[in-house]
Amino acid sequence: MPQAEQSAVDVLTVEGVAVRFGGVAALGDANLHVRAGTVTGLIGPNGAGKTTLFNVISGLQTPDRGTVHLYDRDITGMKPHRRARLGLARTFQRLELFGTLSAGENVQVGLESSIKWWQWRHVKRAFPWAKRSAVNGVPADEPTGPGAIAVETSDRLLEGVGLGGLGAEQASAMPTGLARMVELARALAMAPKVLLLDEPGSGLDDAESEALGELLTTLAKGGMGVLLVEHDMELVMRICDYIYVLDFGDIIAAGTPEEIRKDPMVQAAYLGTVTDSAADTAAATFDQPDADGGRGTAADGPGERGDEVAEE
Amino acid sequence: MSNFLQFTVFGIMLGAGYAIAATGLVVTYTTSGVFNFAQGAVGMIAAFGYWELVASHHQPTWAALIIVLVLGASISGAFVERVLMRRLHGASAERPVMVTLGLMVILTGMATIIWSPTTQRTVEPMIGGQFRLVGINIQYQYVLIIGVAAAVALGLRALFYSTRTGFALRAVVDDPELLGMSGVSPHRMSQYGWILGFMMAALSGLLLAPTQTTGISIESFTLLVVSGYAAAIVGRLKNIPLTFAAAIAIGLAENYIRNYVEPHFSSQLQTDIDTALPMVFLFIALVTLPSVRLRAVGRLTSMRSPRVAGVRESIIAGVVFLVVAVVMAFGFSNTIVKGTTLLTLGGMVMCLAIVGLSLVLVTGYSGQVSLCQFSFMGIGAFIMGKVAGGGSLVGLLFATAICAGIGALIALPTIRLSDLYLALATFAFADAVAQGFFNDGRIYGSGGLQIARITLGSVSFGGDTAEFLLVAVFFVLSAWLVLAIRRSLFGRRLVAVNDSPAAYATVGLNIGFTKVAVFAIGAGMAGMAGALYGTVQGIVGTTDFDIFPGIIFVLFVTIWGIRTVSGAFLAALTFVALNQIWPSGVGIFAGLGVILIGRAANGILGIEAIHVRLPWVRRPTGGATAVPVGAFGGATGNEGLSAAG
Repeated sequence: MPQAEQSAVDVLTVEGVAVRFGGVAALGDANLHVRAGTVTGLIGPNGAGKTTLFNVISGLQTPDRGTVHLYDRDITGMKPHRRARLGLARTFQRLELFGTLSAGENVQVGLESSIKWWQWRHVKRAFPWAKRSAVNGVPADEPTGPGAIAVETSDRLLEGVGLGGLGAEQASAMPTGLARMVELARALAMAPKVLLLDEPGSGLDDAESEALGELLTTLAKGGMGVLLVEHDMELVMRICDYIYVLDFGDIIAAGTPEEIRKDPMVQAAYLGTVTDSAADTAAATFDQPDADGGRGTAADGPGERGDEVAEE
Repeated sequence: MSNFLQFTVFGIMLGAGYAIAATGLVVTYTTSGVFNFAQGAVGMIAAFGYWELVASHHQPTWAALIIVLVLGASISGAFVERVLMRRLHGASAERPVMVTLGLMVILTGMATIIWSPTTQRTVEPMIGGQFRLVGINIQYQYVLIIGVAAAVALGLRALFYSTRTGFALRAVVDDPELLGMSGVSPHRMSQYGWILGFMMAALSGLLLAPTQTTGISIESFTLLVVSGYAAAIVGRLKNIPLTFAAAIAIGLAENYIRNYVEPHFSSQLQTDIDTALPMVFLFIALVTLPSVRLRAVGRLTSMRSPRVAGVRESIIAGVVFLVVAVVMAFGFSNTIVKGTTLLTLGGMVMCLAIVGLSLVLVTGYSGQVSLCQFSFMGIGAFIMGKVAGGGSLVGLLFATAICAGIGALIALPTIRLSDLYLALATFAFADAVAQGFFNDGRIYGSGGLQIARITLGSVSFGGDTAEFLLVAVFFVLSAWLVLAIRRSLFGRRLVAVNDSPAAYATVGLNIGFTKVAVFAIGAGMAGMAGALYGTVQGIVGTTDFDIFPGIIFVLFVTIWGIRTVSGAFLAALTFVALNQIWPSGVGIFAGLGVILIGRAANGILGIEAIHVRLPWVRRPTGGATAVPVGAFGGATGNEGLSAAG
């Protein structure tokens, strides 16, 4: 499919999603679209409902109202594993790795997820003599079977996210930044059509963050639809084609990074009531890294909700 | 009509007793996140302690109540939280379950030593006499039980929802760190929860003891609380009023069935129905319970799995094992230990080791606690004895297949729920099968069920030596199978589903199918082991596959290492050996062992200091240190998978 044609397709559509936890409305009326071949940002202050929306999209949370479509298919009532098989992959804000497995094995589980292990052609690979015979036309001296190919490809995937040579490391023993990349590689192993990333940049240094941005852009160019939740505003503004801003469970603004940067509603959400000086601070938050050389994030920058209350 | 009223009053009384025990379970679970399997045993100890003080030492009732309930239960609850449970923070999910099971077998073991099971003990009602109301006789003891249960329910409701301590008690499981930051000690709240739970358990034991017309017995009283499990499950382990209502409904249903349904059947069937009722209620509760939502909890298990033996290493170890078995078979063929040949004992060890291997798969790899592997053994032995004249390979295959099917049926209702519910279902199943099936005289016969040694065509394994070697081969094959599974993609999935169910589902894998599959495979292995066990012993009886030995064996495997083949074998070896040396102390040994092993997820064999390097074991190479930053260049890295088809 040509790039232009791909980009016109909505791979993910969320319409009127509402979630209540007891008396608290986590999501009021959330609507968004993710197009193929684009990186879409979802930003908002802490507690805005971003992760809840991710949970609704991936099937971990049933919405009280609203629908989720993957292409034209309504997946609202579908179990998480069925959504994933249709091409929806995600990472988590709080790491959800297979901690006792190695980084490579984590990726392998993703790679092998479509394999039905109980089929004899896969069962027999567990036996020691399986590798000594040619199977399905693959010569005996080549890596045989999905498992072997998965190992090879998991190395490639890990290399792609900057973890080359670390496939044997136990996942739970890795630093947070690297563990996030393992999670990303595992999600990519499923060759998803839509990739949901929940704060993939947290725990990364500047160089790693830049590499992540390049990687996501590359993935989008390949036709994938990426939905990114991230507090690193510099990263979001740099790589996102379109941005939604969520606050108190509602989408309060949507547009290109330039439009979002200037949106008074967004500035108010991040800074309280808008004044000229606050608007300048907001623009600085979106544009600049921290003075100490770190990344300017909504969480640790002046944009954290409640940090600063502008005067009327 | 007066009969109906009489049955209703007794049913409500019974339900009220269950309600106290069940609310105790809910209180402990709500405040600590731990389901206390020792709840029934605590009630049993309280009842026996009360009997000891009142009937044996002639203490006044009030003094006995203060000693047992206020001092004994509260101090024990505080002790258990401080010494046993607090140190388990951050341990693998199955470990608290194992520790409470350990506590249960310690308490029952101690009770067996202190109070001889052959002596009948009846407990007098705390308030004697009865009165007449609307044409029926009502004992004051019944009124006391109902009144206390209602007071407990109302009191707990008020405590949890109207006091600051109650809010803290409810918050402690959700986020103990956050609670700590608000100035309330999470440990103290947890300790209050355990104290309350123990007091509820003791109270239910004290109140129900006088209703046991045939006297209180250690085993049946410990298991009396199984009916309370169903009530606690209906209340989703958090809703006290719902738990209370469910317990009353269960008490009523149990008593109506006993008085209106059972009289239509033979006395043996009446007993079977009676014993199966808690199990039926539990399964109804499990089936009707809404699905548990998958949650991304961010729990990253930091446990290091034991290294999985490679193909070469497994083959060499298996062959060495078989050589040793051959030497032993011919070198010790005439050795007798306490009236049993050493080879028979060795055969029993290897059969139990196969059961241990099934636990490695089910609990060690996939994290599901099964407490009914001995039940599958018993069913397997029964099938082996009945199919094709006994002692045939067909019987062995049938035993394996049927047990696998039963395993799948047990796991199916619980797959929507958390792993705890499977543990509860297996506990109830083990109890029901032990009491309703194995104890039925028509199943094993009064003298036990004879099972012939295996004959393969013209080859008979009738002698001890041949049988021993046959079972050794089965053990080695089972060990190779378990290791092959672990090395396979299914093995990776088992570990993955245990580590993070949320991530497992979001990579497109079906949690329910994986869990049912591994549970069925484990059940099949245990069934096969039971069939072999029957041929080794030649005869199996009613007590061979009881619930308590089954639980004790699970603890033995946990102590040695529930994630390793060698752990399964050593567990079987020590279990059989200790049963020969000190049968009444096996439970205490197992309970203390699992408590001492504490958080060590891989058991004794996981302790690095005892590791020895075997000459044929290849050392893993060190991990790479370079971190090259790569790029995809437009690919998403799925070409390999496509090629795999």
